[in-house]
Amino acid sequence: MDVVMPQLGETVKEGTVTVWHKKVGERVEANELLFEVNTDKVETEVPAPVSGVLAAILVAEGGTVQVGTTLAVIEEDGKPRAAPARDAPLSPVVRRLLAENGLDASAVTGTGAGGRITRDDVLAHVERSKTGGKPQGDERLPLSKVRKRTAEQMALSWRTIPHVLQAVEVDFHAVDAARLPRALTYLPFVAFAVCRALPEFPALNASLDGDALVLHRRINLGIAVDLGGEGLIVPVVKDAGEKSLPELARAIHSVSEKARSGRLAPDDVTEATYTLSNSGRFGTLLTAPIINPPQVAILSTDAVTRKPVAQGETVAIHPVGVLAQSFDHRALDGAYSAAYLRKLKQILEERDWAADLGRGP
Amino acid sequence: MAELTYREAVAAGIAQEMERDERVVFLGEDVAAAGGVFKATVGLLERFGPKRVRDTPISELAIIGAAMGAAMTGLRPIAEIMFSDFLAVCWDMIANEVAKARYMSAGQMTLPLVIRTANGSGARFGAQHSQSVENWAMSVPGLKVVAPSTPADVKGLLAAAVRDPDPVVFFEHKGLYATKGQVPDGEHVDRLGTAKVLREGGDVTVVALAAMVPRALEAAERLQREDGISATVIDVRSLVPLDTKTILAETVKTGRLYTVEENPRLCGWGAEIASIAAEECFYDLDGPIVRITTPHVPLPAADALEDGTVPSVARIVETIRRTAG
Amino acid sequence: MPTLTKDAAPPNTAATRLALFRSQTEIRLLEKRAYDLFLQNLVKGTSHLSLGQEAVAAGFAVAMRRDDYTFCTYRGHAHTLARGAPMVGILGELMGRTCGLMGGKGGSMHLTSVPHGAMGSYAIVGAHLPVAAGAAWSAQVRGSGQVAVCFFGDGATNIGAFHEALNFAVVWKLPVIFVCENNQYMEYTPIRSVTAVEHPAADRASAYGLERIVVDGNDADAVYGAAAAAIGKARGGGGPSLIEAMTYRYSGHSRADPGKYRPAGELEEWMKRDPIALYRARLLELGTPEGALREVEKAVQRAVDEATEAAKESPPSPLDVIERDVWADGGSSWRN
Repeated sequence: MDVVMPQLGETVKEGTVTVWHKKVGERVEANELLFEVNTDKVETEVPAPVSGVLAAILVAEGGTVQVGTTLAVIEEDGKPRAAPARDAPLSPVVRRLLAENGLDASAVTGTGAGGRITRDDVLAHVERSKTGGKPQGDERLPLSKVRKRTAEQMALSWRTIPHVLQAVEVDFHAVDAARLPRALTYLPFVAFAVCRALPEFPALNASLDGDALVLHRRINLGIAVDLGGEGLIVPVVKDAGEKSLPELARAIHSVSEKARSGRLAPDDVTEATYTLSNSGRFGTLLTAPIINPPQVAILSTDAVTRKPVAQGETVAIHPVGVLAQSFDHRALDGAYSAAYLRKLKQILEERDWAADLGRGP
Repeated sequence: MAELTYREAVAAGIAQEMERDERVVFLGEDVAAAGGVFKATVGLLERFGPKRVRDTPISELAIIGAAMGAAMTGLRPIAEIMFSDFLAVCWDMIANEVAKARYMSAGQMTLPLVIRTANGSGARFGAQHSQSVENWAMSVPGLKVVAPSTPADVKGLLAAAVRDPDPVVFFEHKGLYATKGQVPDGEHVDRLGTAKVLREGGDVTVVALAAMVPRALEAAERLQREDGISATVIDVRSLVPLDTKTILAETVKTGRLYTVEENPRLCGWGAEIASIAAEECFYDLDGPIVRITTPHVPLPAADALEDGTVPSVARIVETIRRTAG
Repeated sequence: MPTLTKDAAPPNTAATRLALFRSQTEIRLLEKRAYDLFLQNLVKGTSHLSLGQEAVAAGFAVAMRRDDYTFCTYRGHAHTLARGAPMVGILGELMGRTCGLMGGKGGSMHLTSVPHGAMGSYAIVGAHLPVAAGAAWSAQVRGSGQVAVCFFGDGATNIGAFHEALNFAVVWKLPVIFVCENNQYMEYTPIRSVTAVEHPAADRASAYGLERIVVDGNDADAVYGAAAAAIGKARGGGGPSLIEAMTYRYSGHSRADPGKYRPAGELEEWMKRDPIALYRARLLELGTPEGALREVEKAVQRAVDEATEAAKESPPSPLDVIERDVWADGGSSWRN
């Protein structure tokens, strides 16, 4: 039976085989983990469809193919095939090329019938090895799939969108009163505030589509998650606007955890309408975030530190942080964005957070 | 360019050469007054007269013997043996006499003659009128062997054969007489010993002859469409001299060689090519050389049986599909 | 008694008769030398000698034009020599030397000298009859007036090619003369025991609409007369002839055959009618001086001896001729 690249999301067209959990010749049971696939930074584990012996692997780890491409062949129980491919004798040209290049057959992936190593397989292997050579002194680190994808997106955004940065300083004293007893972070509060503010500023919860601005009814909040040096991923909390503060907090926590542990589903990273980028724990004052097209804005929250603030005519020590928004100047103007930011500030500083949290966690 | 049938190209080729060189004469059974049993020599008697275009009795030994005697004394005869199966009737003349006269006389004799004959299956004539015997001629030193697949090649290679100073056995395919093709206007002379690459592909190299050529081309189209297998197809055209350079170069490019032969299995022309490739391209072969041939049986007469014996497009496709991996 | 055609014209000049004597003598002495060389193991393989059959070859050769064509069998030394091929070339070919007519490529059975009109000696029984017809056809097409003379043994009259060639030549009215040297024996079998008619060639002539002609093959004048008539007829556009010349061979079929299958006394009877002895006697009778005849014999012997020495001195054929002359370009290549 042929094992093919699965369709892991409605909009997913190709995938990369990242790990084979079985070797050619090994027995595999139906539903046992057979391999892993990465689609647009999301890793998915794929089980074997039938029981039998893995007769051939046609796409090696690292190979990217279209959905539907045959990746491997399982010789099903009760449906035997001819001799296992990996043991098939090497053809004269293959033996010559292996010898000429100092290669062992086990180093080469076979894509011929039944996984046989073909002449082109050896030539391709040699070609790949050539381009992977290290220059003297420097160390060359190939970019991971995720980083490459991130890099592509960042460059595209920066190239096409005229970014304008605006910032407001927010006093989180009121937020602290509500969050500390519940060991919450600032993020859900900012997110909640965003969900309350965006309906008054629909142009910010929108997508630029050619010469039209598509105003989204739903608020799908993208929560940018740093993958610890491996790039960024932005899982999405769908319909964030309809969630209560506790629900929102839980949802954010959940997607963040899934992101960090590599358990996101492909649909978890699609359809965001507005993005929050939380750099708080890095201790920065201000960040100019890069918008995720086709969105028109992104909000960065940086470190909240205790600072002296004016309270009437006296000085108090309050938690203060900067909220900075990058917006797409093609879609909206500074006054609009500024008004939104003032609204956010107002919500964060003046809302009755205890009421939003209700009783209980 | 003009569109001619394969049979018209035969007459056109003979006429071209008889017009050019008065030493060219033509003899055979029913070739003059009747224009040939396959109507391949229509009009020649009318055009060149009874001195140079002659009907003979049913006497194959006499036909070839006369051609040989005439060739060694200054003429350039074209002799027709009606069905290639009948080469067996005069095989002494062809293999023992014509092929060897020059060698045995240490070059004193030159025999610039052409033996043309209708070869191959497809007409439902049964085992003694349907054979492909070009491999017999290939195996005798001293004979040049040609088997064209298109009207243009018929005319061009026949002209080249007539102009060649050595004996040439020219195998026309009776199943191709009605086929049509573009033939260059004016004088058209091809070269013996040259194969033609009719189609370039990257996965397999298919070598075919005469009526097997169009089948190989059709099979290549199907393999591309249905299996994504891309095939190079070579029309050998000339068995002796053999264009080994082209055949081997194209074999090395893909690493996979197939022959499509109408001969019965043993000692078909493809066996020699397979042997040469195995010896000279061994370290470039990415899989076994596969010969697609008629099985080693006489040819049955019934249409379904005959079609099921000689390599068909379907069998060519299936064989390559099954073994090309 | 052998009959001559009504057009038969025996030689009527002394010069012609001397030529006939000389030709027969050359053949006899050369063939005897070939026999000796075989016994000395200088001639390998096999050799088919014409001892006792000299009159047929000489009679026709003298009657032919220089540009006429001769086709003969593997028993062809006599005919090749009679057309004027050099002795050293014939002996050299038998001994596989560079000076051989074909450089050792053909051997005894295939002696060929195209410049002398000796268009090959043929080892497959009967094969050359159609070829001779073809050469005659060529002369006819070209209008050159040349004729082809084709010599074969009694055994050839029963093979397919004989019948095809005869019919073909008659139907196309070709200038070819078919000459059957009936020496009474196929290889080891008397011809009579395997043939449906008494005279294997002459008794079949009528099947092809040809005149029945039997001549005394041991009488050079009779042979010459029949030859001249048939050649004249062919050259004049009268078509082919079939002539059966009765003769006898002294040796076995080939050198390997001591001829023990012949009835006792048969050989002796025929040797009484030795063609050369017969002709010598006739010339003397007609007034040729004995001295002249002896001069011829001495000269021929000298020529044979010189040719023998020259041939012996010629080196064996080199190996590099093996791959030459399959094709007109001198090579043998079948591929690029």
